[in-house]
Amino acid sequence: MNTRRRFVGFLEERLGLDVLLGLARNKLVPIHASTPFYYFGGMAIFLFLVQIGTGILLSLYYKPSPDQAFESVQAIVTEVDFGWLIRSAHSWSANLLVGVLFLHLLTTFMMRAYRRPRELTWMTGIVLLGLFLAFGFSGYLLPWNELAFFATRVGTAIVGVVPVVGKQLLLLARSGEDVTGDTLARFYSLHVVVLPMLTFAVLGVHLFLVQKHGMSVPEKIVADARSKGGLRAMPFLPHFLLRDMVGWYLALAILAALAALFPWELGDKADPFKPAPDNIKPEWYFLFMFQALKVLPAHLGPFEGEVVGVLFFGACGLIVLFAPFLDRGKISRAVLASLAAVAVAFFIAMTSWGWFSGAEQTTLRVILGGIQTVVVLPLLIPFTAPGSNGRKLVYAGLTLAIAVLAVATWWETLG
Amino acid sequence: MVATWGAILYPVLRFLRPRAATASGALEVVAPFRVKEILQAKNNPFDFGGKPCLVVLTPDGAKRLAAGQAIQADDLRAFNAVCTHVDCTVKYRQENGDIYCACHEGIYDLNGRNVSGPPPRPLEAYVVTLRGEPGQEEIVVSKQSPA
Amino acid sequence: MKRDSRPTAMLLAVILAAAAMSTLGIPALRGELVAVVQEPEAAQAPAADAPAAADASTAPAEPTDAAANASSQTPPAGGPLPDDYSCLTCHKKGGDLWNETTPTVDESHLTNDVHWKKGLRCHDCHGGSETLESFKNHRDDPDFRSLRVRQDSITFCGHCHSNLDYMRKFSPSARTDQETEYWTSGHGQRLKASAAGENAQADAGVATCISCHGGHGILAVKDVNSPVYPTNVAQTCSKCHSDAKLMEGRTYDGRRLGHDQYEQWTKGVHGVAMLSKGDISAPTCNDCHGNHGALPPSVGSVANACGTCHGKVSKLFAETRMKHKFEVAGMPGCAVCHGTHQTFNPGDSMIGMGDGALCAKCHNPANPQLGATLAGADLAKNIHAKLDELKRNIELAGDKVREAERLGMEVRGSRYDLHQAFDALTNARTLIHTFKPGPVDEAVDEGLKVTASVQESAAAALREHTYRRWWLAGSLVPILIVVGLLVATIRRTPLPESRYDPSHH
Repeated sequence: MNTRRRFVGFLEERLGLDVLLGLARNKLVPIHASTPFYYFGGMAIFLFLVQIGTGILLSLYYKPSPDQAFESVQAIVTEVDFGWLIRSAHSWSANLLVGVLFLHLLTTFMMRAYRRPRELTWMTGIVLLGLFLAFGFSGYLLPWNELAFFATRVGTAIVGVVPVVGKQLLLLARSGEDVTGDTLARFYSLHVVVLPMLTFAVLGVHLFLVQKHGMSVPEKIVADARSKGGLRAMPFLPHFLLRDMVGWYLALAILAALAALFPWELGDKADPFKPAPDNIKPEWYFLFMFQALKVLPAHLGPFEGEVVGVLFFGACGLIVLFAPFLDRGKISRAVLASLAAVAVAFFIAMTSWGWFSGAEQTTLRVILGGIQTVVVLPLLIPFTAPGSNGRKLVYAGLTLAIAVLAVATWWETLG
Repeated sequence: MVATWGAILYPVLRFLRPRAATASGALEVVAPFRVKEILQAKNNPFDFGGKPCLVVLTPDGAKRLAAGQAIQADDLRAFNAVCTHVDCTVKYRQENGDIYCACHEGIYDLNGRNVSGPPPRPLEAYVVTLRGEPGQEEIVVSKQSPA
Repeated sequence: MKRDSRPTAMLLAVILAAAAMSTLGIPALRGELVAVVQEPEAAQAPAADAPAAADASTAPAEPTDAAANASSQTPPAGGPLPDDYSCLTCHKKGGDLWNETTPTVDESHLTNDVHWKKGLRCHDCHGGSETLESFKNHRDDPDFRSLRVRQDSITFCGHCHSNLDYMRKFSPSARTDQETEYWTSGHGQRLKASAAGENAQADAGVATCISCHGGHGILAVKDVNSPVYPTNVAQTCSKCHSDAKLMEGRTYDGRRLGHDQYEQWTKGVHGVAMLSKGDISAPTCNDCHGNHGALPPSVGSVANACGTCHGKVSKLFAETRMKHKFEVAGMPGCAVCHGTHQTFNPGDSMIGMGDGALCAKCHNPANPQLGATLAGADLAKNIHAKLDELKRNIELAGDKVREAERLGMEVRGSRYDLHQAFDALTNARTLIHTFKPGPVDEAVDEGLKVTASVQESAAAALREHTYRRWWLAGSLVPILIVVGLLVATIRRTPLPESRYDPSHH
């Protein structure tokens, strides 16, 4: 004991850990209906740590050249001990991470946590989301398999549609007219050097701001609490951390289950001279954009359909980024809320459509849509008073979605 | 808690362990026999990333080997041993000094050129390098061109 | 030639070849006069001229050595013609002494001709004087050799091409037997008969040198635009042999000479290899029929013709009773099953007694042909079943290997082994031509051994994969236990009574 105290004292004297410890000890997390939403951020950090760990491991064997990329990934999953596990974990964790970030974004938006003075917390969060999407996009190409190769070709072509600077951006992204070995090197550098550095910096700011401003509480709850003499809270250490850890372990369990049930496949090596396969698809989180651009007519009035689409998604991104400043009153708030609802519906519809497009698989589409609805709808529960009509509506919707999901699954497995 | 860390660290440590040397596979492979054994080698052609690979000795190389002189990489040729006619595996006929496909009697010379029978094209050539002590050299076959 | 002028030159050569072919092609074979050096009076009396021309070539001057020695008074090889090149004074359209009745030669035909490029000039082939100063009227010039009708071209060209001493100067390995060969060919024999006014085979309209090689503007055989370059040979032959009207009534050995051979060849495996896959070593007309000595192979020698490339199969077949039976019955060996000009990619449906099986044609239980036995029918059935078995097993093993590979298992070794099963299958297919059960069964069993072991190792890889998944699923248990422990700890830790002031933050 004495030794330990001496050791702690040694560190204490030099590092001033008590400041950090004090911060953690004094940190309180409010308890209210929306408290579970606070776990999303922690879960995202946990998954990010998984990504760093597995990513570093993968980089030990991965070789970023078109001759060797596919072969090295193949060697990782076939020859290296537990390589299949590390790769599956990296791929699945990346997808879970983006999913969690989407939920984090959505719940934060619904709680209107971006209110003054947390505008910059929100904006750094959006930037982080963008960075993680870039992680996903660049990482998708690295195994240099057929699907990724052509998806990257399509994905970067979208950049080229941007008016005026599109062509230059395309050349910058691909390092040339086409997706080549140089593109692979570029994406690799982006994925393991540039994006991690940026992410650490922005994440640092984000976390500092969260710490500085404390947890945001929805206005309505604040108002209610005032009349009751304040809000109950739990200390971050150890109470909230323990609960956070439950979330992490659950994420770990989901990761293991996914890796066990659906090992991430490698596919065929990319051959730039082969015609594109029929079912090229980007990662699911880009699918809504991909599908929307695909079904857009070639010309919208005097403009090219694709240009309009790209500009539209660009504008959406800007609206999300500057949401804190657009939320200025009752009306604008209502407009933003309905826009968000439309966006979520659009996302669900387009993703389901894109996921199973090509084949006659309406039921599968319904199943996927059902799953997404079942994930998104519960987020509304904290915003509706128990017993109110709104809460009833959410329950009704959930029941309906589950019923549809059950019927569609039953139909699919029998048919 | 200890169990969790164990479960995470065990795969990681196993992952870090060097993999088997011969199995890197896709772009280069070490022939399962040494240069001096080439004429007796039973496993020629051998597996090169799932395809058969054949190593042969040029006439000069054969003379040098018989005279007990040192063999250079230049005395060896390596080919994708898949016949260009209908994909049978070709073999090395030392006594005839050619490469022979038994299925339809296609014949290639020791440079892989199709010289007789139905094969329409030469064999796909690989690059040969030697490594190791003189007399004990290993044959390394690779797909990359020596830049 | 300068690099940048090559496309133009190529284009020119193509146009020239096309022009030469159109002027020399079918009309020439109908017994009309050659258009190259068309003398007006000759055009009016074609038949009468033929013997006369033959006479002219019986007293040839020795081929000059001028070109071989690269004489200095001639323009440089391959270069443009000098304006005062003497022959062109008369024979060039618009030349000083040219008129409508003069035989005319196109200047570009001359300069692109392989002979011209080797340094030969007009008089090297046509004789006569080479300068205007020494000019004698062609008709009075004993040294002048005309090529009035295309039948003359055999001796006209043979004048040099049959002279080994002369030809060696251009190419040390030059062959000089083309003329001799020609006279033994179907074409040559008919021409000879016609000149002698002999039998029913007589035919003055057959192909001669220039029918295939062209007249002025002859390209080297290795020139891709030459009508006798491998990829063009079939089309060149088809100019006459696909002309139903021209070939009407012409037969060889009772077989029609002209029909749709070209059509058939283009659809067959060899034509596709040559034309679509660009394999110029694939056989075209002359590889089976010969070129200068062109004749259809006789019934008995078909297997030898095929055997020039398909050596093993033809050797196996030669030892069978079937070959003997075919010969006795006057059936053309390989071609009985594989077709002649349209040789299809052979398939396993050809063997056996099922639909489309060729064995059933003779080994028909209801109506056996040529003394075919029922034992033969059974053998055919067995061979087919054996091949099917191996194919099915290869497919099964391949599916398993692919599935394991798709799931990220290491199966390259199995994939390599599977290759040996393919070898065995191909080998068995070759050994069909022994028409004996032993060799085929042996080869198939060899393959089956391989597929069995590949299936086993692929299955092992798949089992390993399943095992991994269970292992991973099993890891859920400790994780969930930890979750349970955490929840228990949370329950045990009471929340202190603390208040959160949102406005404070």
